[in-house]
Amino acid sequence: MSITIAVDARHITAIATEVFAAMIDRETGLLTPWPGGPMTVADPLHAWVDLCTVPASRLQLTTDAVTAADLTRAFLTLGEAEPVTEADVVDAFGELANVLGGSIKALLPEHVAHTLPEVSRQSPSDAGAVRLNEARLAWRGRPLVISLWRI
Amino acid sequence: MTISAGTFTFVADLVRRRSGVQLTDDKEYLVEARLQPIVRQIGLSGVDEYVDTLRTVPYGAEHDRVVEALTTNETSWFRDFTTFQILIGHTVPALVHDRRVSRPLRVWSAGCSTGQEPYSIAMALLDAAPGLTVEITATDISQEALRRGRAGRYSQLEINRGLPAAMLVRHFTRAGTEWELSEEVRSKVTFSRHNLLDTPPPGGSFDIIFLCYVLIYFGPETRREVLCRVRSVLAPGGFLLLGAAESVIDVGDGWDRVPVGRGHVYQVNARGAA
Amino acid sequence: MRALVVDDSRTMRRIVADILGDLGFDTSQAGNGREALDMLEAGQTFDVACIDWNMPVMDGLEFIAAVRAQHEWSGLTLIMVTTEGERDQVVRALAAGAHEYLMKPFTPDALASKLGLLGLLPVEESL
Repeated sequence: MSITIAVDARHITAIATEVFAAMIDRETGLLTPWPGGPMTVADPLHAWVDLCTVPASRLQLTTDAVTAADLTRAFLTLGEAEPVTEADVVDAFGELANVLGGSIKALLPEHVAHTLPEVSRQSPSDAGAVRLNEARLAWRGRPLVISLWRI
Repeated sequence: MTISAGTFTFVADLVRRRSGVQLTDDKEYLVEARLQPIVRQIGLSGVDEYVDTLRTVPYGAEHDRVVEALTTNETSWFRDFTTFQILIGHTVPALVHDRRVSRPLRVWSAGCSTGQEPYSIAMALLDAAPGLTVEITATDISQEALRRGRAGRYSQLEINRGLPAAMLVRHFTRAGTEWELSEEVRSKVTFSRHNLLDTPPPGGSFDIIFLCYVLIYFGPETRREVLCRVRSVLAPGGFLLLGAAESVIDVGDGWDRVPVGRGHVYQVNARGAA
Repeated sequence: MRALVVDDSRTMRRIVADILGDLGFDTSQAGNGREALDMLEAGQTFDVACIDWNMPVMDGLEFIAAVRAQHEWSGLTLIMVTTEGERDQVVRALAAGAHEYLMKPFTPDALASKLGLLGLLPVEESL
């Protein structure tokens, strides 16, 4: 079964909802489908893990840098105004991609390994990667995209 | 606390009238916590505003929703390990030993919520006494909980709560984002809707009755009533199990409390008042 | 009671250590299986270790196998805490000697419930 069939946008959304409810918000309702209309991510930050499917694929998380910092605070149960370093954000945002990637992996019929997470302001999927599926979400109203790529 | 006293009183009255569950004053936080997600989903500003909308309309689906939200527990697999140790180590061997006629072991999981308790009983018995024929009657007042129980599928978050990993691999398979119980386990449990204030479920007496974390929600009179009904369907020599933290509950003269390991079981005291 | 948290993610180590701290454990941390093994070999003792699977240098499965191969560490309870969510992975971890398995994402009371199953929490229920 191809990864496109096993993992569609609804699956991605369902998994993200569980992850956020358990470990980010500790309640439901704060991560919702993007209400529609244009979605622009200014000053984007990307986190991803590559899945060792054949052909290889990638689970990528994209939001703006300010939201990534807020996600980090939520993940670490810090207050809204508490400072977080860039290293904190890289680690937390990367771990979020790791948890999402691992959960999505479990939908596949056969076990595959996945890479350790990476984080960058440059999308790794600009050249050559083909977008398979994508969930456009709003976290506390901010844009968040979780996309699946063939690489 | 952000809800008004009037809101709390309205909700507590509603819940008590529909389900018998008594919310004492210290449960204001629970009303807030359980209704807040509904409020947010509807898009109102707060629990007070939401409850105000319920005051002026006849009883309907929205009122049901409030009662459901306040009467479902945070269920867990094998909620009390001691209870299951008692089940396997004491009650089942005693009943099997006592049997003159070989007939199925009948268990009632009263207030079964989304099914983790009756399925935990089924798994424990399958693992400890695979040859034993077991019939588990699982009842709850909530249709939604029963629907989930019958489906036998649980999310990863629900699976993580209290289920030993060894039990997971023995009795579950992956189903998309969820985990599904084997047919072997599911076939041992029958779910039906039942209010504990009504006549007990039909089908004959039960050898073991699980009434865990149910009585705590009731006031003393309702508890007596429920225990009386439960007693009427417990087979001679049968056992009543309550939650480990419920040992302080006064079950009245009709029961003998028998210490077993670090817990207790209850058996009918023939001498006591009904 | 002493706990060792092993994960290459600082974020996850902190989250798990916070939960364990709230439950009354003194916690230490290691960034991969090799670091954790070094701590044990240096004589540090723990009652329980929470171990991620996918880590650089030495992964969680290797660490678990190494711990279970040493009689002197037989008192260490091993809980795998990982994104690996397939049933076969759970089987592999248990076969390698993990005592319990917790899948990410998880809630604090899920970790508490696993510790409870293993008898590592005081016997006390609260509503």
